[in-house]
Amino acid sequence: MTLSACTSSPTSPTATGTGASGQADAAAPATFQAQHKGGDLKLLAKSAGGTLDPQVNYTLQYWQLYQTLYDGLLAFKKVNGQQSFTVVPDLAQALPEVSNGGKTYTFTLRKGIKFSNGQDVTVTDVAASFKRIFTVSSPTAGSFYNGIVGAAACLKAPITCDLSKGVVVDKGSGTVVINLVAPDPELKYKLSVPHASILPAGSPPKDAGNKPIPTTGPYMIASYDPNTALTLVRNPSFTQWSHDAQPQAYSDTVTESFGLTVEAAVTAVENGQADWVFDPPPADRLDEIGTRYASQAHVNTLTAMWYLPMNHNLAPFDNLKARQAVNWAVDRNAVVKLYGGAKLAQPVCTFLPPGFPGHVDDCQYTADSGKTWAAPDLAKAKQLVQESGTAGMAVGIVTQDDEVNKSIGEYLQSLFTQLGWKATLKPISANIQFTYIQNTKNQVQISLSQWYQDYPAASDFLNVLTSCASFTPGSDSSINISGYCDKAHDAKMQETLVTARNDEPAANVQWAAVDKQTMSDAVVAPLFTPKLIDFVSKRVGNYQFSKQFYMQVSQIWTK
Amino acid sequence: MTATADRKSSEGSQPVPAPVPPVTVVTSYGPWRTALGQLRRNRAAMASLVVFGVILLVCLLAPFYASTIAHTDPFASNVAGTTVIAGQTVPVLAPSTTGLGLGVTPIGPTWDPTHYFLGADGQGRDVMARLLYGGRNSLLIGFFAALLCCVLAGITGVLAGYFGGIVDGVLSRLLDVVWAFPVYLLAISLSVVLLTSGVRIGPIFIGAGSLWLPVLIIGIVYIPYVARPIRGQVLALKEKEFVAAAIGVGSSDLRIMRRDVVPNVAPTVVVFLPLMTALSMLTESALSFLSVGVQPPQASWGTIINDGLNLLYTRPAVTLAPGIAIALTAVALNLFGDGIREALDPRARLRGGP
Amino acid sequence: MARFALTRFGAAIFVLLSISVLVFLIFFANPGVDPAARIAGRNADQATLAQVQAEFGLDQPLPIRYALMMKHLFVDRDLTSFVNRGVLVIPQIVQAVPVTLSLVLGAAVIWMVAGVAMGTLAAAWRGRAADPVIVLVGVVGVSIPVYWLGEVVNLVTQSRLHDSVFSWVPPLGYVPLTQDPASWALHLLFPWLTLAVLYAGIYARVLRSEMMTALDEDYVRTARAKGVSERRILITHALRCSLIPIVSLFGLDFGALVGGSALLTEVVFGLPGVGRLTYTALQNLDLPVILGTVLYAAFFVVLSNAVVDLVYAALDPRVRHV
Repeated sequence: MTLSACTSSPTSPTATGTGASGQADAAAPATFQAQHKGGDLKLLAKSAGGTLDPQVNYTLQYWQLYQTLYDGLLAFKKVNGQQSFTVVPDLAQALPEVSNGGKTYTFTLRKGIKFSNGQDVTVTDVAASFKRIFTVSSPTAGSFYNGIVGAAACLKAPITCDLSKGVVVDKGSGTVVINLVAPDPELKYKLSVPHASILPAGSPPKDAGNKPIPTTGPYMIASYDPNTALTLVRNPSFTQWSHDAQPQAYSDTVTESFGLTVEAAVTAVENGQADWVFDPPPADRLDEIGTRYASQAHVNTLTAMWYLPMNHNLAPFDNLKARQAVNWAVDRNAVVKLYGGAKLAQPVCTFLPPGFPGHVDDCQYTADSGKTWAAPDLAKAKQLVQESGTAGMAVGIVTQDDEVNKSIGEYLQSLFTQLGWKATLKPISANIQFTYIQNTKNQVQISLSQWYQDYPAASDFLNVLTSCASFTPGSDSSINISGYCDKAHDAKMQETLVTARNDEPAANVQWAAVDKQTMSDAVVAPLFTPKLIDFVSKRVGNYQFSKQFYMQVSQIWTK
Repeated sequence: MTATADRKSSEGSQPVPAPVPPVTVVTSYGPWRTALGQLRRNRAAMASLVVFGVILLVCLLAPFYASTIAHTDPFASNVAGTTVIAGQTVPVLAPSTTGLGLGVTPIGPTWDPTHYFLGADGQGRDVMARLLYGGRNSLLIGFFAALLCCVLAGITGVLAGYFGGIVDGVLSRLLDVVWAFPVYLLAISLSVVLLTSGVRIGPIFIGAGSLWLPVLIIGIVYIPYVARPIRGQVLALKEKEFVAAAIGVGSSDLRIMRRDVVPNVAPTVVVFLPLMTALSMLTESALSFLSVGVQPPQASWGTIINDGLNLLYTRPAVTLAPGIAIALTAVALNLFGDGIREALDPRARLRGGP
Repeated sequence: MARFALTRFGAAIFVLLSISVLVFLIFFANPGVDPAARIAGRNADQATLAQVQAEFGLDQPLPIRYALMMKHLFVDRDLTSFVNRGVLVIPQIVQAVPVTLSLVLGAAVIWMVAGVAMGTLAAAWRGRAADPVIVLVGVVGVSIPVYWLGEVVNLVTQSRLHDSVFSWVPPLGYVPLTQDPASWALHLLFPWLTLAVLYAGIYARVLRSEMMTALDEDYVRTARAKGVSERRILITHALRCSLIPIVSLFGLDFGALVGGSALLTEVVFGLPGVGRLTYTALQNLDLPVILGTVLYAAFFVVLSNAVVDLVYAALDPRVRHV
């Protein structure tokens, strides 16, 4: 099995990165364009993104910035378009040799790379970084890296963590060998996300919080005040070793300022007072952006989904007919309108988003029996509600209280009332809604949630969100929000994971079948695949969109 | 004062008492009646009352407007709906067709009372109909919160001022805590707590969407604002001679409070009522930022303002209309309250006569 | 007098303590606010979750958690945020104070000048046409929701008319006074005006009513009889006496504002003051910061109450025996 194959889906991807005015974004220049070097990039975000520690932070906001700061053994190619799903060697010299039936990965570390504090990057740092994943209680320690030999013990007792058998390093030859308990074809992806960044061996053993850790990328962190701004400056120890893995940056400094409301931030970008806003523009500015500032707007499809998890262990959605009714009734076009219009979202009818490995166009809940969703069937939905015997029950819809989520919630409340339930909307603070809907103690019947990929593999959607292992009653961390636990379904997914070790295309076909079964069971009600708008100022050039980590901050230039 | 005529007859030897003319007894009007007269003469106050009355009436007619004039259900989403404007059928939420085609804009004011007079909101609902229904909720919350506040503040102020000592100490400290406590935290916490199925205290049940919630929060939070002046007034009253006389006569505390203190404090409370109604309505609009109280799809002017702020850059009418409505109502109530205060102020009589 | 001051001081401490307990209870009485899962991160492992709970002391009983948090806040002074790990709470508040002070002081100057002027003019011109107009202007100011006004001001100055009439308006945000006084003032101009609109109306009406009472007092009548000019009467006699309740009202309002009650103004105009810190902490359900900002705000409210009470006690001995 080769690791360099780009995992493309059996069907042609329906959406790639297209930029403003319908023209495709210019391909990334193959080499660094020195004439554009310099300038100060001003970014805006509504609020800070939490801790600076790359092994702990799990937000899209900072993962985007970590692309310019930290490196792992491997990395996703920092380019535009579909190629951005390809994994290339970063701190490793080449893609690893896989042996021992897929359980041993051997890397050779590149020489000559330094941290921003002047220290060399050595294999000792690599070993220490992997151990650190467990000692700082990284959110994905248990889900991504539990396959490493010794990880299970580390998870139980991080203080006495011993990964010496799982990550074996040799200072002399500069090799790193990772031993796994079982083959894992997704390891390459897991080593390319910021949680697997290589940090200096002396980094604090606990979450570093707001104290910057030395970096290997073109930028380093100069200062951080969560109420004011995060400032990045050029890393003096950086020299480009691979244009694909970690290209040289154009701007001299990058400042992400916090605190302005999103409306004010959009106005600032329009006035040229800032260069980019992280948060999605409010609905009432979209038209303005799309018309007067069309050349500054870039729209790209995300591998993500907005969906309605339905609680399988609580009435009325413990009844299959009720769940199917929801799938039949929701007018996904209306929901798309509330999100910002058909140009910003695409209705979906499958668990896996279009363009994703394993996706096959199929729709079991459309009025015209086509392969993609076209229209709801309200009559059929009402009939199903009657047949299910749940008509007249009280149903509470829990959403976040921001503009878009709440408006979709209001629409759903109105729809469910039409269907015959006594529906109420419960909007709660965005900061607690996500954990609130996971905890079975809160008796949430149905909610509105989003899922963005961690990496481009079907298991990241299906296995993570619908397996029994992801369902923990009474805990705030139970990402299988629906509470769906079906042994046969689980067995099928495990089987597919095994198939994936050797035969990815076959595995993808199996994932498509799992997807279809998930939809037949109406585990959730998928709504749409969102697109992302990046609104940049006039002076910004060379916009590149990586499907994995979105806008390439180090690659845009302002001169 | 009686006037008698005592006419000594000059015609005869026998004095004949003159027929007693009907007696007109001129007594002064009580304080309330005098105040009423004073109020009626205050043009600004009367005009405000009329304005408020009109607003109240129009809001009460909300169901009539929605069903008969506008033929709309202001609580049902109409995201995919269409409507006819100038003979053409247009979608209520119109996607942008120029440039990149981003965004969806609700239709603007049609100035046609039969449909979408002020345009549509983000869910495609008729703004005018929601404005009227929202007025009912806002006025309801405002009035009952003010009533609750004034009654409780009156009781607290009188008790604290009259009894003094420990009672006053405890009550004053309680008022301090209530005043210094962040109302936003209270609001957020309560909204989360009541999410699942509401709160049950004995026979009383408060659901998440119940209007009692904002009434209670606002009513309680402003008690210190009203109680302190009342307490100050009672303290001053205690020094007066008539209270000392009542104590000397041996009246019970309750009697003194009922007959001497409360009637003198009542005008202050009455003055506060319209002012607190205005203040409550404004606070309710601020609290709707935090999803407390009026739950969708129900509306209040505060929630419509909040929803409208999301449309400020494309359809400012949606947020301007309720904002103006609140401002107008608050102005009317404030002017009326001023009028009441001037009317009840005994010193005012010196300024212009009864 | 000293006894009075002491009792007030004791009462203030009691109030602050009660508020801290209430905030704590309300926070943890809520379902869904347990910060462990949010701190541990999205989709955290159960083991990770347990680790985080132990680290933050979230598995301890409530009273112990309260005691620990108060100890960190007041004794060790190293209380850190739940959301921004490693960031200390107290320095965050200290950093935000100058911003709020700048906003409140500037607005206070404007509203006092405007309020006093409007109130005096209304009293001087009572009965004439200008009086109800001034009252109306004042009342309208009180009746507008401040965040709504702020958003509309932004719409006009930053967006719609930014290229023409308001091109001199700087971008939203705060510039420290020590860095550039002119820029500092320019950035704060519209926030000052927006905040002042609300309070000027209140003060104008209060002053007007007080002055109208004062103008009917006997001593004023005497002055008039003596032939003192109307304007001198207005300013030297009536205004001076009417200012006492104004000053006490100002003390209370100023105290509340310094504590951060102008939070919606700060949020709308992007000023990193104590109010916005409170608002963000509430949105994030960041208990340590909420505790810090709420106590800070309560402290100022209680302090201003106490100061006003003391001033009144100094002026009027009868009040001391309450």
